[in-house]
Amino acid sequence: MKALPAPLRLFGLAALALLGFFLPRLLGGSSHVYDTFGMIATFSAMSYGLDIILSDLGEISLAHTAFFATGAYAAAILSVNDGQGAWVAMAGAVLAALALALVLGMITLRTREFAFSLVTYAAAVVCMNVAANWDFLGGSDGIVGIPPLTLSIGPASFSASQPPQFWPFAYLLLLLTLYVVHRFRRSRLGQAALMVHMNPRLASMCGLAGNQVRLLVFLVSAPISALAGWLYAFQRAYVGTDLFDTYFLVLMLTGVILAGRRLLLGPLLGTALLVGQKSFFSLGAYGDKLILGTVLVGILCFCPKGLANLWRRRSHAAVEK
Amino acid sequence: MNVAQQLVNGIIIGHAYALVAVGWTLLLGAARLVNFGHGQIYMVSAFIAWWVMSTTGLPYALAVPLAILASAALGAIMQRLFLRLTLSQDLVNLMIATLGFGQILEGAAGLAFGPKPETFTSPLQAIIFTLGPVWFTAQDTLTVGATILVFLGLYLVLDRTRFGAAVRMVAEDPPLVALYGIQISHVYISIFAFEGAAVAFAAVLIAPRTPILTSMGFEQVVMTFVVVVLGGIGSVGGSYIAGLLLGLFTTFFSALVSPAYTTASIFALLIAFMVLRPGKLAASGNFAR
Amino acid sequence: MSARLQVRNLRVAYDRNLAVSIEHLTVEPGTLAAVIGANGAGKSTLINAIANWSRAAPRLSGEILIDDRAVAGKPADLLARRGVVLVPEGRGVFMGLTVEENLRAGLSAVNAGGKTYSLADIYTLFPRLRERGTTPGGSLSGGERQMLAIGRALRMAPRLLLLDEPSIGLAPRLVSLLLETIRALVDGGLTVFLVEQNVHAAMAVADSLYLLERGRVVASGSVAAMRDDPRIIEAYLGARDG
Repeated sequence: MKALPAPLRLFGLAALALLGFFLPRLLGGSSHVYDTFGMIATFSAMSYGLDIILSDLGEISLAHTAFFATGAYAAAILSVNDGQGAWVAMAGAVLAALALALVLGMITLRTREFAFSLVTYAAAVVCMNVAANWDFLGGSDGIVGIPPLTLSIGPASFSASQPPQFWPFAYLLLLLTLYVVHRFRRSRLGQAALMVHMNPRLASMCGLAGNQVRLLVFLVSAPISALAGWLYAFQRAYVGTDLFDTYFLVLMLTGVILAGRRLLLGPLLGTALLVGQKSFFSLGAYGDKLILGTVLVGILCFCPKGLANLWRRRSHAAVEK
Repeated sequence: MNVAQQLVNGIIIGHAYALVAVGWTLLLGAARLVNFGHGQIYMVSAFIAWWVMSTTGLPYALAVPLAILASAALGAIMQRLFLRLTLSQDLVNLMIATLGFGQILEGAAGLAFGPKPETFTSPLQAIIFTLGPVWFTAQDTLTVGATILVFLGLYLVLDRTRFGAAVRMVAEDPPLVALYGIQISHVYISIFAFEGAAVAFAAVLIAPRTPILTSMGFEQVVMTFVVVVLGGIGSVGGSYIAGLLLGLFTTFFSALVSPAYTTASIFALLIAFMVLRPGKLAASGNFAR
Repeated sequence: MSARLQVRNLRVAYDRNLAVSIEHLTVEPGTLAAVIGANGAGKSTLINAIANWSRAAPRLSGEILIDDRAVAGKPADLLARRGVVLVPEGRGVFMGLTVEENLRAGLSAVNAGGKTYSLADIYTLFPRLRERGTTPGGSLSGGERQMLAIGRALRMAPRLLLLDEPSIGLAPRLVSLLLETIRALVDGGLTVFLVEQNVHAAMAVADSLYLLERGRVVASGSVAAMRDDPRIIEAYLGARDG
């Protein structure tokens, strides 16, 4: 593909972003459609947190449900218990996730592969246990009565209590996340992460401290999932231990893998397919779990590089013929 | 606090932990494979046994081998599906795939058995032995005895048999195994069948202690992981001892401190271990008997 | 009588780099054929390809016939059970298994096709191994390890024994001892295809010789004929003889 000149590309991107924004209206604009799109935006933002660990660092973090939940819980506590606004809740979500990521990152610094995954998995289970038993976090009842999302910028104030009003916030968060991930991949940290992943020996010869890179990537990734959690708390007006459900974990993993790793729009497309199925063709909670698991296993067994690769292979084959 | 009774409880729970973990010991030690569907196989096994008993009226003693067979088949099918990932040592994808498989099992079990907790009982629970200040059930005795037998059996199989040698060979150098005329996929599938059978055996012995739920698989993996790591990855004897000590630890922790934070305390123990002996986890996949 | 091994138009490539391209190569039953050549000439790639075994993932094409039956593409473990037994270069035994376990671990089909060697036969051949029976492979010396690797291969009733640089890293005295033992086995009816960097040692025991350069056979024939081949003299024997 030829690279377009920069202003033209910028214009194209802006048009695409604008089209994305009006997509739910083009698809009928019902409350259900807006709700689905809000979910897609929120959950794909959540998936991007995991994406940079999985695709760039090459490790599987199973603690990202905990980061997601941390963001949601922080938002709930600050807005319900302390009566703070959404901005403060947002800062709280990011700080809480950073703190948790720092602790977890230090613990898992020297673990790799299955050890890393297992420790992060165990951490998520422990976080769920703590949330279910600690009254400060609402215990097993969770925290209810989160007020509608209201963000004020100077004199202007934007509020959302219905799905159509919520969509712009979710969409903005998604765009912001896309921008951050894009910048991350071009940053020195992103390049270093890839090098540490692909060729650790070369990386250390180039003077990259592998552990430091891993920790930093972890610290970048956690707030992304936490921000999605922050938004999700307002979207649902309730947080509880179900946020730690493996369903979210498998949703994130499948979202990242379904379309293909290290594709900027991959997790968005993957999540859109999965959430779309759940929203429009649901087979009930258990049926959806079954589908999700089957999609994940199917992709990994038959097309581990994702659907995009299948597409690419086919077009290659066509060219060769 | 009745210390003697807590001690007995700890020993029983400890054997239960060890038995749940024994399949993983082989899995991780022999093949550097992990199975995040472990907890879901535990759940499915308990439900299969319960379902057999409640729909056909077959006795517990017959439901047990049926559940074990079914889960061994489940383990074998799982590995057969993932064979390509295993053979190419694509451990990252393999891990995610086992997680997805667990999700399939949980969804399917939910569809088949519903969201309600069910009571799965063993007739041996009603037989109670009293020894001075302590009491325990025949089911507890069976659990402890069976665990010891399974561990001894595994040790002997690994040490004395051709199959055990093949497992150790796969652990050491998978490509070289083919030159000995051994089909490595058979070894992998057998290891997974054992993992399924072992966790099923654990489930049918242990699950009757509490009501069973299709969502109960989630936490099972954590204890297994801690047992396997503290025991020294791949060490059969080590896993047994680690399970036993963890059982005593959790029993006294929940009696003296708080039952709610048992899992958290186990995790703290794991972290302490990792900080004190970081090499143990960083060096992956060494098989020691 | 048909050839034990025939190779036709064999090509082996790593990624897109062609490593080996062999037009024609045969080994007669009951003989010892040796492949010689410099480092990186493709000797190991060739012998591994015959056993369809590799630690990398090369792409193979061409024909390989064992006793006139096409075997190209058959999995390595099946070939091993059918008597095409490879002793790879370097790590050829399991360090975690004892000597006796290594000797018992191999699996061969009833119709593997070669002479069956019992445990006692192996111990007679390599008395040193008997003394080390319960020692783990990891504690053996280099020479003992090589004996064990060959011993376990013999236990699998090979109709064709493929040896990849058995002399590597061994003291000269051990090299000649090992190769003389192999020669004695060939005189007893075994068919051996040997890759060897030590040209003198190979010529002392082999019946026929293939000289490999950059993945191609540049000279071949009986040892007697090859001894006078100017290419061999120039490249390998010249320094000592001239």
